[in-house]
This record gives sequence, structure tokens and C-alpha cells, in this order.
Amino acid sequence: MHPFRLVAALIKINVQQELAYRADTLVNMLVSLMWLGWELAGLAIIFSNATNLAGWTFGDLLALSGMWRLLNTFMQAIVYPNTEKFNRGIREGTLDYTLLQPANSQFMVSFSRIAIWNLWNLGLALATIVTGLLISESRPSPLNAVVFVALTASGGLVIYSLWIVLIALTFWFTKFDNNVTLLSALADTGRFPATVYPIWLRVIVTFVIPIAVATTVPLQALRGDLPWWQIALALAVGLAASFLSSQLWKAGVRRYSGASA
Amino acid sequence: MIEIYKRFWQVNWAEQWQYRANLLMYLAYWLVSPIVYLAVWTAIANAQGNINGLTANDFAAYYLTLLPVDIITSSITIHVLAYKIQEGTISNELMQPVHPILTNTLMNNIAFKALTLIAFVPIWVVLVLLFRPTLTIAPLNLLLAIPALAAGFLIRFFIDSLITLVAFWTTRVWAIWQFNEALSMLLNGAFVPLVLMPAWAQLLAQVLPYQLGLSFPVLLILNRLPAEALALNFGLQIAWLAALYAAFAFLWRRALRQFSAVGA
Repeated sequence: MHPFRLVAALIKINVQQELAYRADTLVNMLVSLMWLGWELAGLAIIFSNATNLAGWTFGDLLALSGMWRLLNTFMQAIVYPNTEKFNRGIREGTLDYTLLQPANSQFMVSFSRIAIWNLWNLGLALATIVTGLLISESRPSPLNAVVFVALTASGGLVIYSLWIVLIALTFWFTKFDNNVTLLSALADTGRFPATVYPIWLRVIVTFVIPIAVATTVPLQALRGDLPWWQIALALAVGLAASFLSSQLWKAGVRRYSGASA
Repeated sequence: MIEIYKRFWQVNWAEQWQYRANLLMYLAYWLVSPIVYLAVWTAIANAQGNINGLTANDFAAYYLTLLPVDIITSSITIHVLAYKIQEGTISNELMQPVHPILTNTLMNNIAFKALTLIAFVPIWVVLVLLFRPTLTIAPLNLLLAIPALAAGFLIRFFIDSLITLVAFWTTRVWAIWQFNEALSMLLNGAFVPLVLMPAWAQLLAQVLPYQLGLSFPVLLILNRLPAEALALNFGLQIAWLAALYAAFAFLWRRALRQFSAVGA
């Protein structure tokens, strides 16, 4: 099947599913708007007690909270629904049907469910980032802006790869059905710049569960805080992570014998 | 009656023990936000010297006390009960001649937090060594903390149960729960010690029940409250507990009628 037709088909199915529960969609949108208000209230409390947080102004932190929402949107739209489907597939054997489909199995497992209402979240995230950058009055050079977009993409790739590794591990440890718990628990560290964390936590959120790579690091590049070699390293890590995770995925699929077989 | 609770305890402890590996993962949820907020406020306090008189050490003492208090007073009722109501499997428990929430769910909550606390202790020791707060805790305050923690837990348990009961009427109970969580996290002292909030927000926090289950026991243990504030908060705990229990009992009777009306 042509890749574009496959993507179009997946989007169509998920839009139909979303439209079947219109009231839920509306409630979900209101709840995420409420959390945006919560984050603004939190920032207001911080800045009624301080003028900056480790050199980050209100606008900077607002942009960061938009980056965090971007990551969270990816988790809610893609990671959680597909992990749930995957875990059920392992438990009940329905994963066989996914693997038998004539398309890339990693693609089918990671993108067959899309919680479409998160387009709203995506909009809120982008609006928050832009508003934050306007308020902070940072005037990044065009080069820094390009680097920012590249690092955001590569940070997203790192998180995506980590997720693939986590669910691929389920092929070896069948009972590993809270595979994304740690990822979602640590996601909250993305709300604030990793530079304020104690060194041990900074190491965890940069190298072990690299939430900061998708939130703090791109903004640091936009502000011009990063030397060129760190930018190159971050981009290289993104490519390496996606290569290694797809290798692990293939090894896992080869190992898989199926609950129904 | 004691025999009944003993049996429910045994069942729920055994059930929780089965999932001990999962429990370690869930501990991360409890740990991450307080440590993040501690880091944020510590960074500001270190940069400015202090925030409204609170030093970095005060924040370390506050959040390291808050961590165990939060586990002790938290409630998982909606997580263990909402799906039973929505799928109708609560029928089995309704057949039993005891109140399912006040026996089974209550004991499930206590077994969960007991096991979580055991797993948490070594982590807490490591965190204390990492942050090294100077803590002076008077034995009298620890003694007073026992009833404050018990009442704080019951207040959170009944708020959580009230929201869970809404599942008898609508499937969107999680949205209501999230609104409550958001309000509670701002006004119970989890995001920031309440003294750093604007005056009107502090007043709101004092009037609402959320701080009674977190901020009050924490400040009591840290000996930050004058005698009249202690008396006021203990009085508020009793009043809120009575009001929440009355609301719970009322809604429970209505919920049962609603449930049978569906024909489940």
C-alpha cells in the first residue's frame, strides 16, 4: 500500500472514531484548557515571588510550558492509545493481525491509533510557545530558529525511540505492561528548565529518560545558550536513537511467537 | 465489625502484594512533582537569599516532609472503584451485607499506602542525604500529627469517594476528577507553601478542605503553626469530615437507587 494512502486511511478511521464521541471530545478540550490555566496560575505564583528562575523569565518559561505541552500532546495522541492497544495485543494475541499486515510493523504499532482531539492540544502548545517567545522579547537569529526546529524534531525522535524500546522490551518480558509508566511519571520534569534540577535529576532527565532533550534543550539553542558541538551531539543522538530502536524492534518481532499461536 | 475489617485487610494486602513491582513504578508519580517544585523554589531561594523569609533549607524540609504526608493522606478510591461502577461489576460487592466503600475500598486504600510507604522509606533516606535539610521535629508535634494525618486521609478519601460516586450518573467522572485535582494541587500546598500565595488565595485555601489533608499536617510536623492555628485547623478537620461524610451518605443512597434503576 502506498504510504500516503495508508496514512490517509489511518487518519480517516481515527477521525470517524473521534466523531462518534463528540461530547467526550468537547470535555477533553475543556479539560486541557483548564490545565493551561493551571500552568499560567503556577507561573503567576512563581513570578509573584521572583523576577526570574535561573535566568529564565516569564516568557521563557511560558514557551517552555508550550514545549512541554507539545511533548504531552504526542504522548496523549499517540503514545498512550497505541501502547494500550499494543499491550492488549500481546496479552490476547491480537498483535498477530497487526504483524501480518503488509506494512511496516513498527509504523502500524506506533501510529494506528491517533487521538484526533489532540489537534486542539497541538494548537494550544504552538500558541503557548509563540506567545512565550513574544513576551520574552528574545530575538533569535534565523540560524538559531532553524536549529530550534531541528532540535525539537530530533528531541521528539528521541522520545519516540525510547517509547519503541520500552514497548519492544515487552517481547522479552511479557508481563511488562506498565512499560510507559516511568516515561509519563517523569514527563512532568519537562515543565521547568532542566538546569534548575540537582545534578542527579538532570542526568536522569537528559540521558536516562531524556525528557529535557525534547523540552529544555531546543529552547536553550533558540536562546543561543548551546555551543555548536552540543547541538551536533543532540542531532546525532536523535538519529542514532531512531536507528537503534528500530533494530531492537525488529529483533523483538523476530522473537515474538504470539499468544494465540 | 473488627473481624470484617481484618478480613478485608488480609484480602487487600494480599492483592497489593501481588502487584508490588507495579507499585515501585507508581512511586515515581508521587516523587517527581514534589522534587521538581522543590528544585524550582530552591533555585529561586538560592538566587535571592530567601523568598519571603523562606530559605532553601526551609523548602527542603517542607517538601521532604510533604512526600510521606502525601502518601499517607492520599486516596486511590476513584482508581479502584470508578471502572467497577462503569462496568457494573460493583454489583458483586453490593450483594455483601457491608458498605463496599467503607470496608473494601477503604482497606484497599490503606493496604496500598502501607506497602507504598514501605517501599518509599529507603528512597526517602536517600533524598534526605541528597538534600540534607536541618530538621528539628518535636515528639509532641509527631504525636499531634497522628490524628491530623488520620483526619486528613479521611477528608481526601471522602472527597475522592464523592467524585467517584458521580460515575453512577455519568461516564465523564474523570473530567470532574481532573478539575478537582487541579484546584487541590494549587490550594493544598503541593505546588508551593501556601504562605507564598497572594492573600486572597490563602484565604480561599484556608476555607476549602484541600489544605487540611496536606499543608496542615506538614506545617504541624515542622512546628510552623501557632497554637490558635492548630486549634482552628483541627476544628476545621472535624467540621469538614462531618460535612463530607453526610454528603457521602446522602449521595450513596441516591446512587444505589440510580444503579438499580438502570437494571444492572
